[in-house]
Amino acid sequence: MSFLTGIASRAGAAAQGLWEAGNQLLQPSLRLGVTGLARSGKTVFTTALVHHLVEGHTLPALRASSQGRIRRARLDHQPDDAVPRFPYEEHVAALTEARRWPRSTERIGELRLDVEYERASGWRRGPATLTLDIVDYPGEWLLDLPLIEAGYRDWSRRTIEASRRLARAAAAAPWHESFRVLDPAGPADEGVAARASDAFKAYLAALRAGPEAVATTPPGRFLMPGDLAGSPALTFAPLDLAPDQAIAPRTLAALMERRFESYKTHVVRPFFRDHFQRIDRQIVLVDVLAAVDAGPAALAELEEALDQVLLTFRVGRGGYLAHLFSPRADRVLFAATKADHVHHTSHDRLEALVRFLVARAVRRTEAAGARVGTVALASVRATRETVVREGWDTLQAVAGTPEAGERVGDEVFDGEAEAAVFPGELPERPEAVLEGAVPPGSLRFPRFRPPKVGRDALGRPGRLPHIRLDRALEFLIGDHLA
Amino acid sequence: MTRAPRAFRLDDPNVATVKPDELPPEGRDIVITEEPPEAIEAADGALVPIPKRRGPSWGGILLSALGGLVMLAIGIGLERLIRDLFAAAPWLGWVALVLATLALIAFLAIVGRELAGMLRERRIERLREAAADAVAVRDHAAAKRVVRDLIALYGERAHTAAGRKRLAAWSEEIIEADDRIALAERELVAPLDLAAKRAVANAAKQVSVVTAVSPRAIVDVAFVVFAAVRLLRRISMIYGGRPGLLGFLRLARAAFGHLAVTGGVAVGDSLVQQVVGLGLAARISAKLGEGVLNGLMTARFGLAAIAVCRPLPFLREPPPKLGDVAGELLGGTREEAAR
Repeated sequence: MSFLTGIASRAGAAAQGLWEAGNQLLQPSLRLGVTGLARSGKTVFTTALVHHLVEGHTLPALRASSQGRIRRARLDHQPDDAVPRFPYEEHVAALTEARRWPRSTERIGELRLDVEYERASGWRRGPATLTLDIVDYPGEWLLDLPLIEAGYRDWSRRTIEASRRLARAAAAAPWHESFRVLDPAGPADEGVAARASDAFKAYLAALRAGPEAVATTPPGRFLMPGDLAGSPALTFAPLDLAPDQAIAPRTLAALMERRFESYKTHVVRPFFRDHFQRIDRQIVLVDVLAAVDAGPAALAELEEALDQVLLTFRVGRGGYLAHLFSPRADRVLFAATKADHVHHTSHDRLEALVRFLVARAVRRTEAAGARVGTVALASVRATRETVVREGWDTLQAVAGTPEAGERVGDEVFDGEAEAAVFPGELPERPEAVLEGAVPPGSLRFPRFRPPKVGRDALGRPGRLPHIRLDRALEFLIGDHLA
Repeated sequence: MTRAPRAFRLDDPNVATVKPDELPPEGRDIVITEEPPEAIEAADGALVPIPKRRGPSWGGILLSALGGLVMLAIGIGLERLIRDLFAAAPWLGWVALVLATLALIAFLAIVGRELAGMLRERRIERLREAAADAVAVRDHAAAKRVVRDLIALYGERAHTAAGRKRLAAWSEEIIEADDRIALAERELVAPLDLAAKRAVANAAKQVSVVTAVSPRAIVDVAFVVFAAVRLLRRISMIYGGRPGLLGFLRLARAAFGHLAVTGGVAVGDSLVQQVVGLGLAARISAKLGEGVLNGLMTARFGLAAIAVCRPLPFLREPPPKLGDVAGELLGGTREEAAR
């Protein structure tokens, strides 16, 4: 059954690929995927990116822009009518006028941008247009992709094994409790299945709420169900199956297996086929600072999540024919966001942390053909850099407006007063965090409000400052603007 | 010793906020100096060189087509000649056939060498572009590739063995992309820079001496051109190229292009030095001034040649300045003038 649906979806993908190849000749377009785990700053990145291109700001590290070859960029109608539009205008207004961060989105969003530029290389010089489709989707969905190649039994075993690790024992205890009353060989009762699923969801929610705050356990849609909430495809759970236990028809285990397959068919495969497979360039945003702040366990979780994410870029890869059906992202950039929370003299250490986090995954993916880069950036720079002198002591700090309720030491902020914050020192060696050499409380990264950017006398919106957004863009789209 | 996180409210009466060039007011315990927002870009500071891509030109197509026709003409002429010789005397025909075969083999060998030289030049050029790209976006994998290619490029040079070994040991370490390339620059390319600088200085000195004593202007010109050609070949060989005629022309074009853009004057070169040296020399004798001028020109050309032959852009090593390669020339003339 799954074999047949696999073939069908591949045929569909191939037809779609042909159709797109035809369109590509008429109007070249580039799909840029923006993703990251919850609270990593996806919305702000996309908003800032569109803001700078549409307002025509010079981005020095983006060659086409520094050479003055980008004439203008404007928003256009997006190609996929069934996908929600990324509400750019609303987010920019929130950032510049209300000075608050945009609401986080828990669903996919798309925006099309036509960039008119002067081509400076190749046969056809002169005016040209690049159609940039920006797709913004939750990173949790990526973690689902490895499920495509997993069977129910396999997934059950791995999920339960992971939950038995020491760091997760507390969160998983109530769920493990439910195994005692569950009989995989028992009748396929709806009530039992729903209870099992609820216990599993409670475990996932507990993981998310814990200090680690990184959900690395698929299925990602369990915590953001959207309009699928309550449907059978989202009502299943792993079962504690014995290794040699056969799954008989009409048992609880058979029901769960069936629903696991339909989750793949109705949730994971459509996402893979309609979005992920069509992405040309991918940026993965990572909130490294929060993970460092939370301690070694959180950093280890994050490392595993990133490893899973990079692994998805190999799903279906291998073999010459597979090229037609596999993801085509040929550049993947891992960006540590919120670089404005530390002084630039620490940016090297921040970047070293990202590289350390993705090192294992990169080593495995290097052969898969995608170029992988890392950068420490701030899509919207909320702070200024300062040097604080107190007596003989000198601290390199960042100054901004901490959000209401943020606390550093004894100081609690009201969201209006400005302050210079010294966040502590990032470790010189990334390994130090995992070894527990960074004592809790030695780092503090309060949230800052977005910077003040007023309109000028002509009523034009101000320019949102950033750190290395241009460098990230050069890596992601620079070669298409050559 | 790590320091604990702290916050300083800017509206605290104990805190003074100042711009970088202001003096802090008296009587405040804590002084906060704002840094300019460009500090980050300045710290990143990776220079982005502009790659030049050239498509095939119509002139090139015309030349190739004409060349093909000429080859055909030569071929048919040869064929006729050999047939006529066979008709006259068979042994003459055989001799001609053997000679023609020999010529063909030699021709193929030359073409092969030219191609190999060109490919090597192009490989060095690509390496330089890839290194610049990797540094610009801190691409970790690309930096590794650049270092690996560089090691391969210098793999057959015995005196780089120690440097290559150290680099190979670092290849699995997690280090910054630009640091990794800078290490390779220090270990493998910096010793070559010294040799190249010495070559330029020697050529400049030779040119200035020869043109100062030569009796005829035409001799000057011939020697300057000859010295420039030899210098370019020499520098290319130092950095690992093996230019044949075509590769050499390519390099020469690139070097002149570079010269046209920069004028051969690196940032930080003082023109005053050149003008003073030249003025003094010319004051003593017009011929001597001419010699110094020609030497300076050769030195500038040498700098351009280094820029186009070097397999890496100048990252941490300081790019050579005119003073480094022609300082002796100028200093020398000044001493002579003082005498």
